[in-house]
Amino acid sequence: MIDTCEYSGNRDEALIAHVYDDIDPVERARFDAHLAACARCRDEVRALTGVRNQLAQWEPDLIVAGRQLSAAGPPSSAASPLRQSWWREIPAWAQVAAALLFLGVSAGIANLDVRYDRDGLSVRTGWSARAQPAAIVPAASPAQTAAPWRADLTALEQQLKTELRTRQASATTVAAADRQTSSRTASAGEADLVRHVRALLDESERRQQRELALRVAEVLRDVSTQRQADLVKIDRSLGAVQNNLGVEVMKQRQSLNLLYRASQRQ
Amino acid sequence: MTSTDEELVARSIRGDADSFNELILRWERPIYALAYRTIGREEDARDVCQETFLRAFRALPGFRGQAKFSSWLYRIALNLCRDWMRRERRTPVVQASEDVDLMDLAVAAEPSESIEDLVARKDLARIVAKAMARLPEEQRTAIVLKEYHGLTFQEIADLVGCPLSTVKTRLYQGLTVLRRELGHNGQRP
Repeated sequence: MIDTCEYSGNRDEALIAHVYDDIDPVERARFDAHLAACARCRDEVRALTGVRNQLAQWEPDLIVAGRQLSAAGPPSSAASPLRQSWWREIPAWAQVAAALLFLGVSAGIANLDVRYDRDGLSVRTGWSARAQPAAIVPAASPAQTAAPWRADLTALEQQLKTELRTRQASATTVAAADRQTSSRTASAGEADLVRHVRALLDESERRQQRELALRVAEVLRDVSTQRQADLVKIDRSLGAVQNNLGVEVMKQRQSLNLLYRASQRQ
Repeated sequence: MTSTDEELVARSIRGDADSFNELILRWERPIYALAYRTIGREEDARDVCQETFLRAFRALPGFRGQAKFSSWLYRIALNLCRDWMRRERRTPVVQASEDVDLMDLAVAAEPSESIEDLVARKDLARIVAKAMARLPEEQRTAIVLKEYHGLTFQEIADLVGCPLSTVKTRLYQGLTVLRRELGHNGQRP
């Protein structure tokens, strides 16, 4: 049987504030004292905390525009350390499977070039390199060679800055111009802004894809190193097993010889 | 050194595109997660996310810093979600496949979690998502902002424009309904 609650304040509000630990000290002290005596409230606090634990399970990894987003909270508050390094801590076999799947898809959509040759593993996000071999020219600086997208981003940035300045300047000029011209200019400027913000968003997505590709490459390298170490261990273990087996066989053979000789004597 | 949101906003207003890009990188995930949990559709949540930043960019010169940038962004996103629900005249839809994709499960695995635990966790997530989708919009929004975005009661009240006590009541009612719903699904809170 559940006891009757005799909390003098607003019970529901105090209860939820306690469950979320978002309560001022005076009310906390008052409600804590009440909890000590009220089984009904204790039960409800426990149940609602249980519901919160269940809600925490709704943490889907969401695929957006070909990349994976975590449904974590704001960067400063709710993101847990586990989630930040999820791809480092998942089992090796799952990492390999995910990496292969990702590389396959990314290679198709992002011109990703993954090679494993004498020089080791290399990953390139060659947006321009594959279609235009001439683009890889010695004149390019090392930074540009390493990140061909930087040039595009810088160009976009410069263009956007120029247009923003033009827009600011034109805003004062437009005020003096006639109404018809001004509305036409404004709508064109608006369309330009929308286009450029979309470009920024796309660039942001591409940048995250590239970061993910690099991380996948790291995972592959780690897995490869781990695999080599495992193979060495297995080799050593097999050697030890073979030695033990050899000794056992010799013992067996000696026993058989003894038995044979004994039977000959009889 | 990392710039604060307010510094980035100030630089964006002066025409620094890099600063606005940094704001997008910083807030894209939380805004997408908020839209996804409120709407329940990946594609529409993505549109809402993009539209949020477009509107923010357009309105940036008018942003006076009375509220935090994040609160301002959340408000834009929530208004867009509300518009979406009114336009579509429907409650959120939970995109949850009945069949289990082992590859997805493997990728989602936490360290040292068995495949059985993983399936159970995914199953529970699906049940929670469905129960959340059935809540009234106000209660769902309050729970999403509190539970997944860590906002204080006061911040939620400011954001949705209602008294502090109403926020607490919505949370209490929402959690109570969820407790019952999850209990019906055989989940013990």
